[in-house]
Amino acid sequence: MTAGGWLSGCAGLTGGGSGGGGGGRPGTLSVITWASDAEAAVFRDLADRFGSENDVTVDLQVIPFEEVQTTVDAQLQAGDPPDVFRVTYTDLGRYSTTGQLLDVTPYVDDAAAFIPAFWQAVQTDGTPYGVPHHTDTTAIVYRPDLLQPAGITVPTSLDEAWSWEEFAEVSDALKASLPQGVFPFVYDWQQFGAYRWLTWLFEAGGRLLDDDLATAVVQSPEGLKALEFTQRFFTEQWVPRNTSVKSTTYPDAAFIGERTAMAFVGDFLLPGIEAEVDFDYQATFQPRDVRASSDLGGNALVATAESANAELAGEFLRFMVTEDAMTEWCARTTELPTLQSLVGQDLGYEVRPDLMPVFVEQATTLTEEDVAQVTVPAFSQVNTVLLDQLELAFLGDQSAEDTLAAIAEGVDAAIAG
Amino acid sequence: MASEVGVGAARVARRGGTGTGRTRRTRRSRSTAFSWAMAGPNTAVVALFLLLPLGWAVWLSFRDAGTFGPTRFTGLENYRRMFSDEVFWQAVVNTAVFTLATVPTSILLGLGLAVLLDSALPAQRVWRTVIYLPIVLSGLATALIGSLLFEQSIGIVNKLLAAVGVTGPDWQTDGAWAMASLVLVTVWVRVGFSMVIYLAGLQDVPRDLYEAARLDGAGAWQQFRQVTVPLVRPTTFFLVVLNVIYSFQVFDLVYAMTNGGPGFATTTLPFFAYQYGFEQRQQGYGSAIGLVLFLVVLAFTALQWRGQRGAVQGGA
Amino acid sequence: MAARDGVRPSRPPRVRLGLLARTVVAALAALVVFVPMYSMVVIAFSPRRDVFDRELRLLPSSWTTENFRELFADYPVWLWMGNSFTVAALTTVLTVALNLSAGYAFAKTRFRGDTLVFLLLLSTLMIPLQAVVIPQFRLVSELGIYGTFWAVILPGAASAFGIFLARQFMTAIPDELLEAARIDGAGELAIFFRIVLPLCRPLIAVLTLLTFMYHWNDFLWPLIALKERELYRLPVALGFLNGQYETNYGGVMAATLVSSIPMVVLFLLFQRSFVAGFARSGIR
Repeated sequence: MTAGGWLSGCAGLTGGGSGGGGGGRPGTLSVITWASDAEAAVFRDLADRFGSENDVTVDLQVIPFEEVQTTVDAQLQAGDPPDVFRVTYTDLGRYSTTGQLLDVTPYVDDAAAFIPAFWQAVQTDGTPYGVPHHTDTTAIVYRPDLLQPAGITVPTSLDEAWSWEEFAEVSDALKASLPQGVFPFVYDWQQFGAYRWLTWLFEAGGRLLDDDLATAVVQSPEGLKALEFTQRFFTEQWVPRNTSVKSTTYPDAAFIGERTAMAFVGDFLLPGIEAEVDFDYQATFQPRDVRASSDLGGNALVATAESANAELAGEFLRFMVTEDAMTEWCARTTELPTLQSLVGQDLGYEVRPDLMPVFVEQATTLTEEDVAQVTVPAFSQVNTVLLDQLELAFLGDQSAEDTLAAIAEGVDAAIAG
Repeated sequence: MASEVGVGAARVARRGGTGTGRTRRTRRSRSTAFSWAMAGPNTAVVALFLLLPLGWAVWLSFRDAGTFGPTRFTGLENYRRMFSDEVFWQAVVNTAVFTLATVPTSILLGLGLAVLLDSALPAQRVWRTVIYLPIVLSGLATALIGSLLFEQSIGIVNKLLAAVGVTGPDWQTDGAWAMASLVLVTVWVRVGFSMVIYLAGLQDVPRDLYEAARLDGAGAWQQFRQVTVPLVRPTTFFLVVLNVIYSFQVFDLVYAMTNGGPGFATTTLPFFAYQYGFEQRQQGYGSAIGLVLFLVVLAFTALQWRGQRGAVQGGA
Repeated sequence: MAARDGVRPSRPPRVRLGLLARTVVAALAALVVFVPMYSMVVIAFSPRRDVFDRELRLLPSSWTTENFRELFADYPVWLWMGNSFTVAALTTVLTVALNLSAGYAFAKTRFRGDTLVFLLLLSTLMIPLQAVVIPQFRLVSELGIYGTFWAVILPGAASAFGIFLARQFMTAIPDELLEAARIDGAGELAIFFRIVLPLCRPLIAVLTLLTFMYHWNDFLWPLIALKERELYRLPVALGFLNGQYETNYGGVMAATLVSSIPMVVLFLLFQRSFVAGFARSGIR
């Protein structure tokens, strides 16, 4: 068995990698992505299909999410980048503004086919630098067996979604009825998800950035309302204390571990949850205040400007957002399409298709204004500012006013570069 | 044992006693050539892969450098920004606290266990082996085991405490306890290493010294204080230097266990440097933080070296 | 209080505790150290649900190899183990060879600036990886070895720790031995190979073990410096499992166990030389 190791060892010593400079080997398309198990399987199948149709080899590297950024940046710096990689919408601007990405205009047949918000998300100064591959959004999964005893009725449509006040009442009722050590809910703002706090800000009618996307305007009555409400999650013990923004405990783990009655989760987590739990769970909409909102989940696929196989890379992107490929992707990963023609279609979701309409509808609450604010080039720094300051507001004793001031200061500095 | 005189004579004989200055010089240069042939390759590799990157980092630290694109000279701006950053100072304090909590603890426990296990005990090898087994675990593995132990609600430690009727602390959400969890995992790994090194050192303590001390009426504790502790001082010095370096550079553990939180309670300097250099891609600023860390460790070690000088044979 | 409690008479009574008390203390210390490792084994062989139970389990609810089966199904474990071994072995051979020769030069020869060079080398021990990893990476790509095993082996061999140990150890070798050999007409290289190295077996054991362990466990750098999944090493699987969307303690602990077992075996095989090596390397 280990002979394979030795052989590859030899390959590694004699330059098993592609030689430096310009990167890539003709006829081989290198793709770097992170992926859940379900995503990896469908990614592989689609890549193989593209490979056999075009008589090329697609070399797909699946790397943990935390390491993708380091790896891709490293390869770009080394001048030996992958031809294609997966990137969050919030991170795309950083690569496009530094000239790292391929202009995909020649490979997009019909820009109008995409949902406008997502087509906007892959553009920088009017030029598209990637294709909106899919989206996902957050909704609430809950356990009827724990909500019924507390006498809670659950909204069945977006219009009926809980108001913040109702959501607070629900949480209090659960707090009173749940056994020791089980919490009403958990929110998905951990780590790179810190920006998901903005959903509350948007729901309150607030904005992070002004219309010019140049200045933070979070120090507003709406901002204060959103922050004070989310601080209550911790003061009222509605969420487990160890699920704050810097925590390494993710909502799906808390929900699977039977430590919460509800969980705000992205639809891409459903396969993992379904595989693990043996209790019944259903889905409902996120609460709404002045308006409903959601987070910009999902990812784009981009090709590198340095790619030796630019033509092939572009064709691969074109292939990945065809209706067929996107349908298969979404069906198997329980993620949402970015093509308007597929919205509202029954895509044949393989896991809990009964819950998907909730996520699909929740996704429609995201506006282009919301998207614009979370896709500025400096957004990864903005996210870090949110991460640091929210942590202090939730677990430290930093006041809401001070937190907003610090967020505004940090965001302004990040935008100014 | 050849006497000094003999050796001296041998040297003179080899030099032909009255060699001319020229031959002497050629001989010395030949020996220098040999020295360099021996020391050169390692020096070259270290210079290329460590010192050159270090110089590069110095250059970067005076610039505004992202991951891509041109860099801009900004002089001392990165350093000015660092010293006015509250989080930086908190990271300094955290790193100091972590170091002060881990180094003496693991060294003293290591010495205690070494003395205990140096005497004959039943199943002696079993105890020894178990205690230094964690040495072989990777930093990442250690951190992952640490996460399993100190998860607040499902972690092994709190389940153990609950089993004896104690409510476990908030390992993940209380800053002080989070730091404590890092310290405990670190001590768990390093006690064994200290113990191994001390066991080695104890083998060289001449037995008759204990005999003499006993004849002077010294009890076990006094023998330990008056004989063992002074004689293992070089070992202690070695362990202090090594452990300080390790503690100042703690990263894997923070990265996988606490992520610098809650708040900034466990943000150490290496983690802080990593956050800016990698997560935020401000490589200039990240390099500046990394360099300050390097200088602090260097100064610390130099001070220890000074204090220890003469006690270590061949100490520079 | 000489020969009592089974203490060998030649040994001084260093601790004035009864044998029973001392054994209990030793056993307790071993137990505390053992618990985390035991937990790892239990969780690795438990169904995934176990970890979420409120109650502490001393044993899995039912023994299962599911976590291991998944690990071997999802990742080319044997291949990566082979890679780990190949790279760690090559790096170790290179490092130890460099360290031994450099250590000898600093211990037994004098040349202009030797102290300065030695201190400079030593100072590199204090360089935090985070400070130099970016320039190191650029260097590797400039040298054109990015993506090959050399990108891991060469920077890996840049280590001064072994020089320090080797110098300490070799300083203790009596000069008379070398002088005598010189009088017999042996060349400098012959002295090094025929006299010094045979005396350095314990040192070589320590250096080999420590270096090998370090490189076997290294995770971040190989991930950055290599491109092909086929060239990855076992710790990467750990990172992969940890980086997945869900916290999969069973899988993570199974991978931790699998990646640690070879090192545990190696360590148990060589622990005697290990202690002896330290005992005689002048760190005392």
